[in-house]
Amino acid sequence: MDVLELARLQFALTAGAHFLFVALTLGLATVVAVLQTRATVGRSEIHGRMTRFWGRLYVTNYAMGILTGLVMEFQLGLNWSGLTHFAGNVVGASLAMETLVAFFVESTFLGLWIFGRDKLNRWAHLAAIWIVTLTAYASAYWVLVANGFMQHPVGAAPGPDGLRLTDAAAVLTNPSTLQAFWHVLAGALVTAGFLLAGVSAWHLLRRTPEQEFFGRSLRIGVFVAAPALFLSAATGGRQLQLIEEIQPHKWEAFSGGAGLARVGALLMLTAFAAMFFFSFLNVALALSRRVIVTARLWHVALIAAIPLPYIAMISGWVFREVGRQPWVVDGLLTTRDALSDVSPAAIRFSFVTFVGVFAVLIAVNGWLLARQARRGPDPVAAPLEVLV
Amino acid sequence: MTETLAAVLLGFFATGYLVLGGADIGAGMLLPFLGRDERERRRVVAAIVPFFLAHEVWLVATAGLLIGAFPGLEARLFPGLFPLIVALVAGWIVRDVGLWARTQVAHVACDVAVTAGSWTVAGAWGWILAGLLTGVTDSVAGGAGVALIAAVVVGLFAVHGLAFARLRLTGRPLERARAVTGGAGDRATFAVTAAMLAVLVVAAGARIGLSGSAADDATLRLLVPALYAVLPLLLAGQVVTWRVFRHRVAAVAPGQPGES
Repeated sequence: MDVLELARLQFALTAGAHFLFVALTLGLATVVAVLQTRATVGRSEIHGRMTRFWGRLYVTNYAMGILTGLVMEFQLGLNWSGLTHFAGNVVGASLAMETLVAFFVESTFLGLWIFGRDKLNRWAHLAAIWIVTLTAYASAYWVLVANGFMQHPVGAAPGPDGLRLTDAAAVLTNPSTLQAFWHVLAGALVTAGFLLAGVSAWHLLRRTPEQEFFGRSLRIGVFVAAPALFLSAATGGRQLQLIEEIQPHKWEAFSGGAGLARVGALLMLTAFAAMFFFSFLNVALALSRRVIVTARLWHVALIAAIPLPYIAMISGWVFREVGRQPWVVDGLLTTRDALSDVSPAAIRFSFVTFVGVFAVLIAVNGWLLARQARRGPDPVAAPLEVLV
Repeated sequence: MTETLAAVLLGFFATGYLVLGGADIGAGMLLPFLGRDERERRRVVAAIVPFFLAHEVWLVATAGLLIGAFPGLEARLFPGLFPLIVALVAGWIVRDVGLWARTQVAHVACDVAVTAGSWTVAGAWGWILAGLLTGVTDSVAGGAGVALIAAVVVGLFAVHGLAFARLRLTGRPLERARAVTGGAGDRATFAVTAAMLAVLVVAAGARIGLSGSAADDATLRLLVPALYAVLPLLLAGQVVTWRVFRHRVAAVAPGQPGES
């Protein structure tokens, strides 16, 4: 495999893993923030316990999102310095905004939220989760400013030393950015909704004692996922129209041939269709409190459906990013020209290191998530947090 | 002018990272020394975890500033320091996974990950800073002088970690930290080790030429004011974190919910 392919594969694995972790955290943060609001305002005990249980799954997943995101940030500098050199004035600047304006605040307040539950008063603790959620949205926006520019470079002109920013408003309101933002947000809510419903169905199927807890959680999952699927269809359809206008080569890859971009698009549409029709059934069944706890066959289907949003998200992402090739900045800079001037041995070293570390990371994460999901809600506070 | 303001910001975040992040990295390095049994190590980890997220973001911000405001410098530093940065990030991940997993399961593998990861991170920083201090910015520096400076930096991380442990712990782990770091007050000791690390960053930063590496003026004129505008919010979050978690981590009696 040549160096370019290896560097691309490494970035694809890192960014793909990061994207999947983010998909869940973005949606789950929203759900947890709403649950905690109901717990705080209404002093509802069950919502408080839901906040803790789903919040713990959220935090474990979030940790993996941070770590894969770190590798992405450093990898841009290590392997793709041609991109920052050529388009740093736009792409680099929006990534700088992401780290400082969004991620810095998000991470600080997440620490306060996790470890400060017994130290902050309940309103301050509620404010912390909302700050985390809103800055997570801001973070997604700024990353998509960089990504949208790579798809559809507007608001910049070539200068002697790479691109110069000429119209900041055009960069910030790039249609490729804004439409992807709403689409990702919708997809994140679908992912969270299916996870809530699937994990709850597992507990109901096993007849664990928490019938009330997981019956309600299942219903929340179903009623979050259904409208989010409509939103994702609407934003996805508009993106396809946009692609036909601004990225004719991606449109060609979508409408003919057997390339990876087309395979991604078709797989995404298939997974979407499956979720969409399944959701009608879900909404109908979830209307009955009795059916929710007794329909065992439906529980099995809900558990089996947990991976569907992930399949749709990752294949949609493959379509968006592979369809951009051979360009890294559409029409202006090829991926090959963006590769850093480093030795093949160095790229191989970083590939082996990060793929190895990631394999362990994902295994540990999967084990911790499954362990938490199986164990069910905790009547007392989490172990270490009491010490803090 | 905007370039100078951007450089000040870069220095501020780099210093903030080594002073704050260095504290919990140092404590992680000495986890087996400070905590001799499972319950003591739990307390050392409990002293670190409320802070590590709020501290490591200073490095993320530094890297973001480097990419956004000084792409020329980034293009010189990153490929040159490639293996050290890979080691730094890998050590960082191993350490964080150890810390996250430790909040849920008490397994010796977590402690090994925290300790080994912290040493790797400190070692990578020692080597990077030693290179920068000797004026090498475009490749991995070598030689006896560099090795000596790197060892001193790693030692400084460890001592700073002990000073942080003196602010956060009680009982036997606290006594161990005090025994190594001398008779001055806990806060005074932390101030001294923090100042030493800050001087180190400033000295290393002074050797890096920033001229000609900044982003285009049109970009900086938007980016820099925006970053200064949000700075109070960023610092407020940090201050709240230090205030909320200002109390020492005390021992929990057996049978309490904290024991598991």
